[in-house]
Amino acid sequence: MDRETISPAGPRISQYGVDPKYIVKRGAELEGMTGVSLRDLFPDMPKVIYPASQGEKNIRQKTEAALARINFSKIKSGNTVNILASHHGFTFLGGKPYAEMLRTVKDFVERETSAKEVRLRAGLGMRFRETEEYIKAHGLDEYFKGKALGIAPIDAGIPIETCLGTLYGLRRAYDADVIIHAHNSDVREVHFHRQVDRAVKPFGMSYARAETRSTYHMNMGPRAANFVARAIFDSDFVQSKYSFSIFMIMSPAGVVNIDADNDLYALNDRVTVGGMKHYGKIINLLGEIDECVVILDFPCPVPYVFAAGVIYANMVGANIDLFDLDNPLPPYTWYTETFYNERGKPLIPGIPPVNPAIKMVVHNYAWTGYPATFFAEHTPTIMVGREQAELFNRDPMNLNYMKHALLAENLDAAMEFAYRTTKTDKVIIFDGATGGVNVSRPLAGHLLRVSPQVNERVGQTLMPKWLAQRDVDLKLLNEVA
Amino acid sequence: MKIVSVHAHVNRELCTGCKTCAMVCPVYAVTVKRENGKPRVDIDIRKCVGCWNCEQRCPEHAINMEPCEPYPLQTDISRWDYKEIEALCRKARFHPQQVVCYCSASRAEELAAAVLAGAKTPDAVVLATGIGAGCGIECNQPIQRFLEAAGWRPERRKDSYQWYGRTTTVWEVSPEVKANHPGFRFLEDRELMDRIVNAPVKP
Repeated sequence: MDRETISPAGPRISQYGVDPKYIVKRGAELEGMTGVSLRDLFPDMPKVIYPASQGEKNIRQKTEAALARINFSKIKSGNTVNILASHHGFTFLGGKPYAEMLRTVKDFVERETSAKEVRLRAGLGMRFRETEEYIKAHGLDEYFKGKALGIAPIDAGIPIETCLGTLYGLRRAYDADVIIHAHNSDVREVHFHRQVDRAVKPFGMSYARAETRSTYHMNMGPRAANFVARAIFDSDFVQSKYSFSIFMIMSPAGVVNIDADNDLYALNDRVTVGGMKHYGKIINLLGEIDECVVILDFPCPVPYVFAAGVIYANMVGANIDLFDLDNPLPPYTWYTETFYNERGKPLIPGIPPVNPAIKMVVHNYAWTGYPATFFAEHTPTIMVGREQAELFNRDPMNLNYMKHALLAENLDAAMEFAYRTTKTDKVIIFDGATGGVNVSRPLAGHLLRVSPQVNERVGQTLMPKWLAQRDVDLKLLNEVA
Repeated sequence: MKIVSVHAHVNRELCTGCKTCAMVCPVYAVTVKRENGKPRVDIDIRKCVGCWNCEQRCPEHAINMEPCEPYPLQTDISRWDYKEIEALCRKARFHPQQVVCYCSASRAEELAAAVLAGAKTPDAVVLATGIGAGCGIECNQPIQRFLEAAGWRPERRKDSYQWYGRTTTVWEVSPEVKANHPGFRFLEDRELMDRIVNAPVKP
């Protein structure tokens, strides 16, 4: 518990965040903080291939090994090929491993097939230039010879006939003869997808028009919504173009493998098991925190800042079992958010509250570009720095965020107020520290004490229940690292 | 309700006339013409809702958002009999007090009031409420469901990506899909959504 803190992810120049010069102090620099290794919490955390001393070479090698098992017969001579990617992949470990996987897929496909042109089409969320920023930062535009594009949900659409009726994809995702689905296995938005068809989800999101995304978040209900992506993927249109899928397999500690399959549903089962096995433990561990102050300190919008390999939105919902499909609503999803009236009262009984263990949030560094007012409405929030507050006041998705947040001049002042008013000495920092989590010493002690029970509960009781709910064979548990 | 605090302005030196800005504008505030062989983009500031779509999608980075005197886009629900508002919300299968736009935190009751006040197209709803002037994504279906519930069938303009069409809801999933995919919990989620739609309005 006397370890030094782990280096947090650095601030990034982006139009969605304040200039890094305004991030003058990080949570990890505060007195009383320490780093806890994920392996100390869960000794069976899998070995990672990145970060590692060989750097991106490992990623290239594993990607090539995975691709060697793929049947490329779908790609005919003279075909155009779109590698479909998503912005989320670039948010892991500085984005280098995902970029290298994409580069390797391009090289391999060009080498092994007679494709005429291999392009990159990378989907994005609500920050319509974010993917463009990643493409430039990783030199992908040059690597793909000017054929690397960010595709946004408000771009031109294409109707796709499905068993749910007409849904809409993005025209530029499908403007090739063949598509390759290149994604990652991080559970990330488990509050939305509930680890149901996790590997299929981008067909209803990253590669989809606003109509389809709105169908997912407004029309279907919190669990049924996950069928939207499957309906699109199973459509004749998508199947006529689909070749194979390749995934960067993540654990909370980093990249553990690259997996590929022509059969997306086989890959999906492996992703489902791996995600539950490792992320399930971390999220359940967060649920064991009885009280804490959360520091947001990472270059991403509020719900997406990372700690211990999971995102803040997972912490917001950690007071229930997010993987248990018998719980209809997590404490945070967009369905949940709509189910409160203007005075903050639930419209029906049984809406689970935001994790009451979060006594206060100190917003030291997090981006705009995602509607985050819900978080400030439901948890006392202190924004650090006037510049960041002004950025939120200009963001069309966060015009009300600062109506519910206090403003502090600097991080020290914010923490002094947080300690005094919450009376807790437990602090967790969502700063993207790799391989561990930065916390206050009292919280480190608590996490180390309870993690063995969590390990046992997830492994012996919860995993069998979660897998049965998803009709996934228990045998896979031993096969997936 | 949304407070508009910025307006879009085009840098004509950088503009190539590709019309992307016009295609993504939620209120048709942008027109692109050619004059003497050069592109000319005009943004109607009286209509601009400060959504940033044009700024975000312009491939030439030719559009800037500049602060303006803030003003609201809002429909006053008190001008209508609340029973009418409630009836339209229930018909569109929303609870009157539920959020339909995460960015502006606008409620279904305001969307209903805007439609009752005469908004017959998605762009008219945006101008009347600010719903659709944030992310421009998640409110897409609520707007279309309300217009359909009111009996309006707006015609989609082919020169715009503003909207495409209404899609399915959990109430419309076929028996075959429900029977073949029970793990997606269609019946339970429909029951949850029904409980929301039919919940009483709380003061």
